[in-house]
Amino acid sequence: MASSSMDMAATMNDLPDVILSIIFSSVSDTRARNSLSLVNRKFLALERSTRTSLALRGKARDIYMIPTCFRSVTHLDLSLLSPWGCSDLLSSASSDPFLLAHRLRLAFPLVTSLTVYARSPSTLHILLPQWPNLSHVKLIRWHQRSSSPHLGNDLVPLFEHCQALSSIDLSSFYHWTEDIPPVLHAYPSVSKALKYLDLLTASLTDGFKSEEIQAITAACPSLTKLLLVCIFDPSYFGCVGDETLLAIVANCPKLRVLHLVDRASLGSTRGEPDDDGYTREDAKISKVGLVDFFTGLPLLQELVLDVYQNVRDSALSLEALHSKCPELKLLKLGQFHGICMAIESQLDGVALCSGLVSLTIKNSADLTDMGLIEIGRGCCKLAKFEVEGCKKITMKGMRTMASLLHKTLIEVKISCCKNLNAVASLRSLEPIQGQIERLHLDCVWEGLEEDGGILCFDLNEGLCQSFEHEYGSKRKKSRYSSDPDPSSFCMQSNGNGMFSKSWDRLRYLSLWIGAGVLLTPLPTAGLYDCPNLEEIRIKVEGDCRTGHKPSQREFGLSCLAYYPRLSKMQLDCSDTIGFALTAPSGQMDLTLWERFFLNGIGNLSLYELDYWPPQDRDVNQRSLALPGAGLLAECLTLRKLFIHGTAHEHFITFFLRIPNLRDVQLREDYYPAPENDTCTEMRVGSCWRFEDALNGRQIPD
Amino acid sequence: MGSLILEALNVRVEGQGDKFLVFAHGFGTDQSAWQRILPFFTPYYRVILFDLVCAGSVNPDYFNFRRYTNLEAYVDDLLNILDTLGVDRCFYVGHSVSAMIGILASIRRPELFTKLIMIGASPRFLNDKDYHGGFEQEEIESVFVAMEANYEAWVNGFAPLAVGADVPAAVREFSRTLFNMRPDITLFVSRTVFSSDLRGILGLVKVPCCIIQTSKDVSVPASVAKYLKNHLGGKTTVEMLRTEGHLPHLSAPAMLAPVIRRALSR
Repeated sequence: MASSSMDMAATMNDLPDVILSIIFSSVSDTRARNSLSLVNRKFLALERSTRTSLALRGKARDIYMIPTCFRSVTHLDLSLLSPWGCSDLLSSASSDPFLLAHRLRLAFPLVTSLTVYARSPSTLHILLPQWPNLSHVKLIRWHQRSSSPHLGNDLVPLFEHCQALSSIDLSSFYHWTEDIPPVLHAYPSVSKALKYLDLLTASLTDGFKSEEIQAITAACPSLTKLLLVCIFDPSYFGCVGDETLLAIVANCPKLRVLHLVDRASLGSTRGEPDDDGYTREDAKISKVGLVDFFTGLPLLQELVLDVYQNVRDSALSLEALHSKCPELKLLKLGQFHGICMAIESQLDGVALCSGLVSLTIKNSADLTDMGLIEIGRGCCKLAKFEVEGCKKITMKGMRTMASLLHKTLIEVKISCCKNLNAVASLRSLEPIQGQIERLHLDCVWEGLEEDGGILCFDLNEGLCQSFEHEYGSKRKKSRYSSDPDPSSFCMQSNGNGMFSKSWDRLRYLSLWIGAGVLLTPLPTAGLYDCPNLEEIRIKVEGDCRTGHKPSQREFGLSCLAYYPRLSKMQLDCSDTIGFALTAPSGQMDLTLWERFFLNGIGNLSLYELDYWPPQDRDVNQRSLALPGAGLLAECLTLRKLFIHGTAHEHFITFFLRIPNLRDVQLREDYYPAPENDTCTEMRVGSCWRFEDALNGRQIPD
Repeated sequence: MGSLILEALNVRVEGQGDKFLVFAHGFGTDQSAWQRILPFFTPYYRVILFDLVCAGSVNPDYFNFRRYTNLEAYVDDLLNILDTLGVDRCFYVGHSVSAMIGILASIRRPELFTKLIMIGASPRFLNDKDYHGGFEQEEIESVFVAMEANYEAWVNGFAPLAVGADVPAAVREFSRTLFNMRPDITLFVSRTVFSSDLRGILGLVKVPCCIIQTSKDVSVPASVAKYLKNHLGGKTTVEMLRTEGHLPHLSAPAMLAPVIRRALSR
C-alpha cells in the first residue's frame, strides 16, 4: 500500500534532457556545477555540455594536463595561470609553443571569447590563430609596455589573426594612447566591424587626446560601446571640447554605451570633502555643444561623463538629454553643476530623465537637499543612486529622497559628502532599510550635531504645494494599492537613534576609512543587524609617513563577526602609504600598520579573501610582512586567498596551515607590476614549490 | 654540488665587462635590495648577485641549523659560488653582515678579492670596555625577547606579532630587517649576528678596503668606522655619504652608486 505513493513521485531524473539542460545552463556558480556533475553520468554530461565559461588555474608548466571534458566552453580565461603574469606563457611551458596552443584548441574548440595575459605580442601570435572565430578578446598586462618605438605592435596580432573580432577590452592592458590609432588605421576591415572598445585603462598617464579620439571613432563607425580615458583639462593640448564631442557622434551614431572619463578621475583615492567643489578651470564644453552631443546619440542607454573640470549651468543641457536620448537608463556625471534648479516644485534638469535606473552624481558643488528631493520625484524609477563629493546635501534631503524612491531604490553610495557622515548616511536610509541590497559609505565617525526633531522635510506643506496636489490625486486613484504615504516613511524612527528594523536584504557593503581610524564603531553606528550580509569591501586610505602610530592594537575587523553570513572580503590597503624597510629614525614602518589592520581577522569565518598590502611608493613595494602572513594564516576557514602584492617564500608557506585552502595567488595587478628579475619575492620556483605543497594536500570536499 | 648552490641561492650574473663585481646583501633583505644600484654597474662589470641562505626568498629547507652556526658557513657558500662560476678575481660590495663575511672570505682567499667595499659594516655590535659597538646588552636582549615571542607563537600555530616597532629605537632600524624572515631562522641568525666578534682578526686582512659610512646610522656609529680603518690590515679608506640610515642602497641609491664607482676605480 505504501509503495503506490512512491511510484507516483517523479524525480529530477525523470525530466527530459532538454529541460535539464536549460536548468543547468542557468546555474553559474562553479561549485554548484561541480556538485551537479558528481550526481551521475547523465548529469555529468549535461553539466559539461552547458558549461560555457572557464578560467584555467594551474601551472603554465603543467599545461599538458589541460582538461579535455569542457568542450562547450565559449569563454576561456587564461590570465590566471601560475605563476601570475608569467613572462611568456607559451615558451616557458614547453619546448614547442605551437603544439601547446594546438592542444588548447583541441580542448576548447568553440572558444569565441578569450582573456589572456599578454606580456609580449609573440604569445598572441601563437595563440590567436587557433580560434579564427574569436569575437571578444580581453588583454591583460600590468607589467610595463616594452619601450619599443613601434606603436601598436602589441595589438597587431589581434587585428591580423581575428577577422571576426567585434569586441576588444584593454582596460587592464598597459599601453600608450599612441598605440591605438595606428593599428586601427592599418586594419580597416577589422576596425570597421568593431562594436565594443574598452579603453578605460588606468595605466594611461594622460588620456586620449582629441585628435586620437577623432581618429579612433572615425576608424570604428560601428561602435555601440565605447569607453575612453580622456583629458578635459583645458590647459592641456588635445583636451576634449565641443568639437571632440561632435566628432564622436558624427562618427559613431550607433553608440548605446559611452564612457568619457577624465584621467584624474580614474584614480582610486577619494577626494577632499572640504573642497568647495569647483575646479580652478571650466571644461571646454558649452551648453550648445552638449545639446548637439545628445542629439546625435538617439540610441544611448548608458552615459558616463566624468569630466573633472566644471561644467556649469547644466540643467538645460540635461533636459535635452531626456528628450534626445529616450532609452537612457544609466547616467554618471562628474563635476556638473546646476544639474537641477529646484525652483518651487517644477521638475527640470536631470530630474526630467524619468527613465533613469541608475544615477551617479559626483562633485556637484551646488546640489542641495531640494535638488535631491526634485531628483527623487522626477527620476522615479531609480534603483541605484550614488552621490560623491557634494558638500551641501544633508541627512534630511537624503532621507526624503530615499522615501520618495521607496518603490525602486536598492543600491546606494554616499561618499565624501561633508554633511553626511556614517551615522547620518545610515539614518537617511532608514525609511528603505529593509530593501537595500548594496551599500557604500565612508566610515567618518566624527559627528555633526544630532538634529533630534526634524528628520526630513514635511512633504505636505510649505515648499512642495503642487507636489502635494499631484501626489494627493494619485493617492485617491490607488485606494486599494498598498502604497503607503511616502511622508509617513520619513517619520518612522525611534527617537533614541536605534534602528528598529534590520537590513534584511543587504548583501554587499563597501566601506571607505582613513588610515588610523577604527572600524569598531560600525555596528553601533546603525549597521547592527545585517543577517544576510555576505560580502564586504573595505578600502583604507592614508599617509602613514607622518610619524603617528595607530592608537590601538586592532583596527577592529573582529567587529564584523556580528554579521553571521559574512564570507567574502576585500581589504584594500593599497592607498595606505608608508615606509617598508627604510623608515627614518623615529618613524614607524608598515609592519606595524599591517599588524594593526589585520589583527582579529582570524575571528571571522571568511571563505574568500582579497588583500592589498599597504605600499611603500618610493621603492614600488607592496609586500606582505611577517605579522600579515601570520595573521592571515589564522583564517582557518579560508578556501581562496589572493594577495595583490608580493610575498616571499618564507611567508607564503605560513598559509599551508590553513586546512581547506585551495586557491592562492599573488597578483601584482597594479601599474607597474614589478619585473620578476628585479623583484625576487615572487620567484617562479618559490611559487611552484608552494603550489605543489598546497595541491599535495587532501581536501575533504 | 656546484650547480645546486647556484640554483638554491638564486645566483645571477648580469651585465658585460671584463671584471667581476659581487653584490652581497645583509640579513633580512635579498638581492632585490640592489635593484636600483644595478643599472649603474651592469654596463661596465659582470655583476654577480645572490641571496644568503637565510633570505626570505630562498627555500627555507636549505637552512641547515647545524651548519650555519657562525659566519664561516656563509663564507663557504660565497667561495663555493665564486669557484663554481670560475671567478678568480673580483670586486666585492657587502652590506652589513655581508661586509663581515667578505672580510672573513678575504682572509681565507686574499688573491680572490681585488677590493672590498663595505656598507654599514661592524666587527662587533655589542658595546665593550673601550669599544663602542653601538648597542647595549639590554637593547640586544629586547630584540631577543621579541624574536623569542615570535618563535613561540609561530611554533604553536599562532601569528608572530612582534615587529620592529616593538623594540627600542636604538636597535629598531637594524633589527627591522631581521623580522623579515621565518621566525625560527630569524632567531637563530640574530644570535649569530649579535654574538660575532671579528675585532681580533681584522689585522689579518691584506686586501684594500673602502668603508662607506652614512652620516647617521644608528646601528653603526662613526666610531666603528674609525675602528675598522685603524685595525684593518690592508690599505683602508673611509667615504662619507651625506644621507642617513642603515640601508642607503634602498633609501638613496643615486647617491650611493657614484661613491661605489669612485671606490672601485681607485
